[in-house]
Amino acid sequence: MTARLLLRLADGPVRELPVAPADTQHDLATLLTQAGLPLNTRCAGHGWCRGCTVTLGTERVRACKTRFAAVGDSVVGIPNPAHLSAAPSVGATFDIDTPFTLAPPFPIVPGHSDTAFAVDIGTTTVAVLLVDLLDGRILSRAGAFNAQLRFGDNVLTRIGACHDPARLRDLRAALVDDTLPTLLAKAAARAERPLSRLCGGSIAANTTMLHLLLGIDPTPMGAAPYTPAFLESRTLSATALGLHGCPPAIPIQLLPGFSAFVGADLAAGVHATGLCFDEKPSLLVDIGTNGEMVLHHEGRLLGCATAAGPAFEGSGLLSGTRAHSGAVCALRIQSSTTVTPGTPPQALFSLETIGTTPPSSASGLCGTAYIDFLAEGRRAGLLTPSGRFSRAFLDTLPPDCLARTPHGIALSLSALLAPASEPAPSLGSPSPNTAHGAPSALLIGEQDLASLLQAKAAIAAGLGLLLDEAGLQPRDIGRLYLAGGFGMHLNLANALAIGLLPGFSADQLRVVGNTSLAGALLACLDSSALPAMEASRSLMHIVGLSSHQDFENRFIDALELP
Amino acid sequence: MAPTLHALSVAVEAGKRNDAKQLTQTLLTEGMQPLDIVEKGLVPGMSAIGERFKNNEVFVPEMLIAARAMKESMGLLEPLLASAGIKPRHTIIIGTVAGDQHDIGKNLVSMMLKGANFGVVDLGVNVPAAKFVDAARTHSAPVVALSSLLTTTMPAMRDAVVALRAAGLPSLKIMVGGAPVTADFAREIGADGYSSDAASAVDLARKLVGE
Repeated sequence: MTARLLLRLADGPVRELPVAPADTQHDLATLLTQAGLPLNTRCAGHGWCRGCTVTLGTERVRACKTRFAAVGDSVVGIPNPAHLSAAPSVGATFDIDTPFTLAPPFPIVPGHSDTAFAVDIGTTTVAVLLVDLLDGRILSRAGAFNAQLRFGDNVLTRIGACHDPARLRDLRAALVDDTLPTLLAKAAARAERPLSRLCGGSIAANTTMLHLLLGIDPTPMGAAPYTPAFLESRTLSATALGLHGCPPAIPIQLLPGFSAFVGADLAAGVHATGLCFDEKPSLLVDIGTNGEMVLHHEGRLLGCATAAGPAFEGSGLLSGTRAHSGAVCALRIQSSTTVTPGTPPQALFSLETIGTTPPSSASGLCGTAYIDFLAEGRRAGLLTPSGRFSRAFLDTLPPDCLARTPHGIALSLSALLAPASEPAPSLGSPSPNTAHGAPSALLIGEQDLASLLQAKAAIAAGLGLLLDEAGLQPRDIGRLYLAGGFGMHLNLANALAIGLLPGFSADQLRVVGNTSLAGALLACLDSSALPAMEASRSLMHIVGLSSHQDFENRFIDALELP
Repeated sequence: MAPTLHALSVAVEAGKRNDAKQLTQTLLTEGMQPLDIVEKGLVPGMSAIGERFKNNEVFVPEMLIAARAMKESMGLLEPLLASAGIKPRHTIIIGTVAGDQHDIGKNLVSMMLKGANFGVVDLGVNVPAAKFVDAARTHSAPVVALSSLLTTTMPAMRDAVVALRAAGLPSLKIMVGGAPVTADFAREIGADGYSSDAASAVDLARKLVGE
């Protein structure tokens, strides 16, 4: 008899998954990935995170650490947050602030070979656009999760995986055989233009992604002194890159980077923002798992990367999730100063979600909503400066909105939702939650708040040290360009209120979107762009933070909420 | 207990570093012995916050702030203890393994150990295996504590354990920790103990020296 696994997706019907005899020694996460149901194995199946937590009867277990043999006849329940969601929110829009001329570096034959692609390969998401080189018009955009995610959610896990050469090949294949061709095909379909009209392309990415794209061993970047195999720009044919589906001989340009952790995505951003042309000193800040920053001052560039950890991507938080359709992206506390006796406490929070999912069925909270929670919670007196729930405030709330977790107390937002924040149910396609069943309550725990404060402090400390190195104060900065998807959806007033960018004011901030993709686009449009980026490398000095003697002090200073 | 000593414990626990420094100075001016200030002022403060951490009543940010307050006080006391030739009963060698430059977690463990009256020799970050071996020998330390904050430097932790085992120090115990390190990994590389956080690192160290 063939073995089988009993599965239930949220509260859907029980399904049977046949398991071949050769596969019975696998763990559940591996089996489900093979069956086309990839789970959120963000720690690469090491058992360090809770991303792939599934239920086994009444028990909650990590799918990556549960062998098929241990399951027996139990039904494996897969809750929504355990899925590697298929619909990420990918930033593919941007501002270009630098002057350029339409003088593409690729040979063009109008109507036949006149289109280029620009790509930004992020550790989490990949964005692609097609551009008409005759008039510089963007034809279409497409975005998706990086298929490498199943090998780990951060660059270090993926670098570590490459000690096994087979895994390096897998990681490369995830890009050249999966994510990139899929996105190019999608973009081509949207543009109604065949990929045969491509005459070139440009790719921006962090240094690790560029190594993996070329199948070059990144392991020396995993430990100090973090030595990359290459940083300079490279141009190679589609065939040499292993990219199928487009004309084999077309040139593809890989943008140059500054260091192992301040990569071509930042070089692209420096170019696209035109920050080198600003009269006053300016800053480019990209907040993700690493906060990367570049300061331009008196013709020099100073750069650093600060390990913020994955909290802003929702990882390791009770109800945290990446930014995707169905996630809560913004949050407000109704009573703006303190709780007033007349206000029903049930109406404390109003939530906004990405897409059409009503807040009551949201799948989780993404980083921007947590920033709102810290700011609004502090403003309303719900949070203390050390990021704890005010016991006096909690006493005003109904007891059923508090939960005890193994890591301290947690507040249930779901129990305190404002009815007004509920939009009319959409009549279109079913939301993710009606498809997957009832969502679990949205919880924020004190342990979550502690993780978020540490992520915030890492960014704030990095920024402070970079300014110190240049002998500058925040007020000396003309513009702070906030790049990346996180910056795009951030409530800036709240980000400032929690001290993420200490000393800066709203009029200095400029949200510029995916400047990595913008830089890749400029490298397709203007043949002077790539040489300019290459030249910027010699202006750069990288500041190593983890070994910097003032980092710890600044980090601790930045932990509290203002 | 003297009211100032109690105030010092409270200041350390609350992470008030200026108060901690001032109160230490006051106690010294009043003629109290440095060792008494450590044992009756700092140790109770740090063990209180350690207990609250284990009960999920405080979290890492508050631990870091408290440890920094203690560091201010220790900055005044350590030179006096050293010049008086006072040595703690047990000395622990601590460091972050080769290739890894992260020290905040390691520094917190180091402060918690000092707050439990251990002597601590901190070798810093990016410490080659041979340096751990030399220090263990030089200080006749009963315990070496290894930290790694990156998945990519966990192999260096294994190398350090191998080198320490080969050093011919039969009674030496090795404890390991750091964000990516797990109990399974600690067992696999042959460490004597693993702790998941700075508060339980103190308990582990006590166990390893047989207290």
